[in-house]
Amino acid sequence: MFLTRSEYDRGVNTFSPEGRLFQVEYAIEAIKMGSTAIGIQTSEGVILAVEKRITSTLLEPSSIEKILEIDSHVGCAMSGLNADARTMIDHARVQAQNHTFVYDEPIKIESITQAICDLALRFGEGAQGEESIMSRPFGVALLIAGCDENGPQLFHADPSGTFTKYQAKAIGSGSEGAQTELQENYHKSLTLKEAETLSLKVLKQVMEEKVNSVNVQLCSVTPNEGFHIYSEEEVNEIINTL
Amino acid sequence: MALAGEDFCIVAADTRQSDGYHINCRYAPKAHQLSDKTVIGTSGFYADGLNFVKKIKQRMEWYFHQHDKTMSTTAIAQLISIMLYQKRFFPYYVFCVIGGIDENGKGCVYSYDSVGNAERVQYQAAGSGNELLQPFLDSQIGLKNRSNENETLNLTEEMAIKIVKDAFSSVTERDIHTGDCVEIYIIRKDGVECQKYPLKRD
Repeated sequence: MFLTRSEYDRGVNTFSPEGRLFQVEYAIEAIKMGSTAIGIQTSEGVILAVEKRITSTLLEPSSIEKILEIDSHVGCAMSGLNADARTMIDHARVQAQNHTFVYDEPIKIESITQAICDLALRFGEGAQGEESIMSRPFGVALLIAGCDENGPQLFHADPSGTFTKYQAKAIGSGSEGAQTELQENYHKSLTLKEAETLSLKVLKQVMEEKVNSVNVQLCSVTPNEGFHIYSEEEVNEIINTL
Repeated sequence: MALAGEDFCIVAADTRQSDGYHINCRYAPKAHQLSDKTVIGTSGFYADGLNFVKKIKQRMEWYFHQHDKTMSTTAIAQLISIMLYQKRFFPYYVFCVIGGIDENGKGCVYSYDSVGNAERVQYQAAGSGNELLQPFLDSQIGLKNRSNENETLNLTEEMAIKIVKDAFSSVTERDIHTGDCVEIYIIRKDGVECQKYPLKRD
């Protein structure tokens, strides 16, 4: 498998003769080993749902945080190397606050996504005074959900710095199965309640363990309430309806 | 000066540029259109004013490319405050007012000092004639110190323009730095119109 890639997959800033950047491609592979995360956009708001891998009974589940708040109107779910996401989310939070400070308005979802993706290709040696922050590409993919003047939106950002808008998207190890499942069940008139159920239904199908209020995390971003992480009770209520 | 109506806004400035008893230029515009919802009026050091407006326009263009939308009046208002304060210890010698339409379609005016203190007001005069102009606006638009306390004002665009013209011709009478021509920008929800009126040239 690696015969054709020999030599050219070493440097992060060297193209292979076929014009590929292997380290970036490997980074995208890293996500496929991460836990599954799902995002669903509806007209009422966006739902993010992630699987938490409880690898030991001694592990404290609340210490695994895979959904984070960027600003009161933007949330983010991650899959892959979670530690890498911290750098990106720190950056995003600063950008969001700075925007509010300078322009007295919440930042647009597309703009904050762009700000995150600007970081993604700042690996390697760093050129023209731009401080390099990482020696390798980020190994994490993000689902960025938020509401602005253009309504509820969902974006997917990957290690290559590309971002795409989605109506429903799954990332992580179960993403292939989950994506087909979403494709079959998604329709434009989905309500927020239906999206909650759908997200957990899809997670249930791709997760190895049985879904419960401890091994999944759920959040919603709505125009009125903004970012909200569901409590265990709220998650339980939805699980009971499955 | 600038004043806000219910669904419109007016920014007006004379065009005389003077230095003591000397007139440098009879047509040096101090009011500038920033977008189809916002107009800025500057007074103070003319060169600083021009440069400051140039910088604002540049920041607005960057914003447009970055966020794919034109800056709203409130966003510009906050940006100006920050740009002025960024030069807190070597300020732009400008006293500006901006007028425009806010996100709710209402007329709005923001006034600033040279280091970025900002306030949203209904009307504001700035510059050499401001001591003469502000009390007139207080009386005619703010309805301050009237014997009839229940008096209300339903400010129409025609009334507002009349008040602005009267204000400028009165100020021109007593302030040597004001005169030549007044430019009146009328900002409505469907665009900006600029009218010019001659003032006394003495």
